[in-house]
Amino acid sequence: MSSVLLQQTINGIVFGSLYVLVALGLTLIYGVLVQINFAHADVVTIGAFAAYFFTFTLGGNYLASIAVALVVGAALGWLVNATIFAPLRERGSELLPLIATIGVSILLQNAMLLWFGPIPYPFDSPYSNEVIRLGGGTFITWQNLIIIIVSTLTIALLYAFMKFTFMGKALRAVAQDRETAGLMGINPSQLIMVTFVIASALAGMGGAMLGPILVLTPFAGTSVIVKAFAIVIIGGFGNVEGTIIAGLLVGLIESYATQLVNPGLIDIIVFTLLLLMLAFRPTGLIAEKREENV
Amino acid sequence: MSSQDHAALAGPTHRLSRGWWLLAAVVVIALLPFVFQDSYWRTNLIVCALNVMLAIGLNFILGFAGQLNLGHSAFYGIGAYVSTLLIIKLGLPFWAAFVVGIAAAGVAGMALSIFAVRLRGHYLAIASLGFAVIVHQVLVNWISMTQGPLGLYGIRPPPDIALPGLPVISFGNSANMFYLVAGFALLFYLLLDQLARSPIGETLTAIREDEVSASSLGIDCTAWKVFAFGVGSAVAGAAGAFYASFVGTLVPDAFIITESFTILAMVIVGGMGSLSGPVWGAILLTVLPEVLRGFGDLRFILYGAALTLVVLFMPGGMVQAAQTLRARIGRSTPATGSGR
Repeated sequence: MSSVLLQQTINGIVFGSLYVLVALGLTLIYGVLVQINFAHADVVTIGAFAAYFFTFTLGGNYLASIAVALVVGAALGWLVNATIFAPLRERGSELLPLIATIGVSILLQNAMLLWFGPIPYPFDSPYSNEVIRLGGGTFITWQNLIIIIVSTLTIALLYAFMKFTFMGKALRAVAQDRETAGLMGINPSQLIMVTFVIASALAGMGGAMLGPILVLTPFAGTSVIVKAFAIVIIGGFGNVEGTIIAGLLVGLIESYATQLVNPGLIDIIVFTLLLLMLAFRPTGLIAEKREENV
Repeated sequence: MSSQDHAALAGPTHRLSRGWWLLAAVVVIALLPFVFQDSYWRTNLIVCALNVMLAIGLNFILGFAGQLNLGHSAFYGIGAYVSTLLIIKLGLPFWAAFVVGIAAAGVAGMALSIFAVRLRGHYLAIASLGFAVIVHQVLVNWISMTQGPLGLYGIRPPPDIALPGLPVISFGNSANMFYLVAGFALLFYLLLDQLARSPIGETLTAIREDEVSASSLGIDCTAWKVFAFGVGSAVAGAAGAFYASFVGTLVPDAFIITESFTILAMVIVGGMGSLSGPVWGAILLTVLPEVLRGFGDLRFILYGAALTLVVLFMPGGMVQAAQTLRARIGRSTPATGSGR
């Protein structure tokens, strides 16, 4: 039994680190812009498709396809910011950009449906079948090890960027206090653009690694993004550390629920947790000074 | 929602008096089944009337009270499943089940609203989205009650009405079913219209524009937001009960979150915050894809494009476009004068 639990813990960390990659993008965007980007889901999906076509149609290396998806995601992020968020920023509305990105999401999903069709793509990573035995009956596939290593490295790099570079410090400054940051000579437009590019690059590479796990259809990103929303709220909107903890937590819950109860109940458990958090601790797991929207 | 978004909508929307509009609506509803005789377009007429109901309900929550509800599909589903299960499992008569279905959806809306009472804007959007996911998953997983994805079959239309001296009115007939649904849509429209024009409407608008100022004037913002949520989701519950009795089958996937987004598109494209806007939005976004049916899967691409473009370039929707157009025509021919 304990080896089963250990195995599920490993799986949970794998799921969780992918959720963290996707949710971090949402939380970064929220931090600087106080806006929600619904099209983030489709950046995940398009990242997965980019990796699929690079690996199987062009015959590229799967590891290289993660980098391809990262670039594709970054480009999409730039596009979504330039076409939707930047023009709507002067209008200063809280909800209009959110509604516009729901429109973008519907548009992208159905354009993909037209091109790629509704039948799931068989995304078999070449590393999924190679297993490392850990003893005690537990094992980890190379694919899952790649996911854990790449996610951890990415998150560490992001952390270093936020801590040590001027841009990263500016980003945190804006997230903490927009007006004062503006007084310190930080160019908000440029900063927002960089945030979108980073956030969407994370989502794109997340998609490349989620591809082999998900049922790859044009709607694949949606199931991830609703969980990412839950994670962002459980972790506290705009809070990077909280998002990482909450992402791993949701991954573990999902993994244990699959084993112990009924996979159908995962979403119910996660979203009940979300509603309870909202009711009793809306600032997230790690309390922050941010209270304005609560 | 910022005040600028709504400022554009404040102008007079009706040039004709409301009585004439009502008469025109009744005449059009009466004539439509004669214009569209085949069962395909009759079905579309009924779907259109259902969508109008859903859109005006969501508009009351979003456009008037300013609460971004992304879970409207959940209330639609609750109305459909509660009324149908009461008929199937307990043998309740349709109209009793209909009333309970409406009440259940309304109570669910109020419950979510009370739960999310401290939340505004984005938090409420995500909470309502989460609520819709939970409701859908419960419908899928509670197999002993809902049959899960297999669905419920053989749901009967509302019972015949036999008035003395008149032929029996059967709702198996699509024209009669359309009259029933459209009649209720009109009734709900008039009720919401009455509410919006009453001091309650002004109170809700005040909360939407500036909650802090509203509460400093002694308005109980919480209670009114709960009220708006209850009313809007009850209307969605009525649409759900009609949907089940009209389609005859119920599957959980009819109430996935995408359905919420579709209803949202109708409200935004028509013109959020005006009363008539969502009606036009619902009609346009129901009929246009059917007209374009030859183009395959363009239906939802159209929804997405319309939603995005309207928010970017015409946040007041069709109502704003009509006003702009009217103002331009009025300016070019000043002799006719405006109806102000």
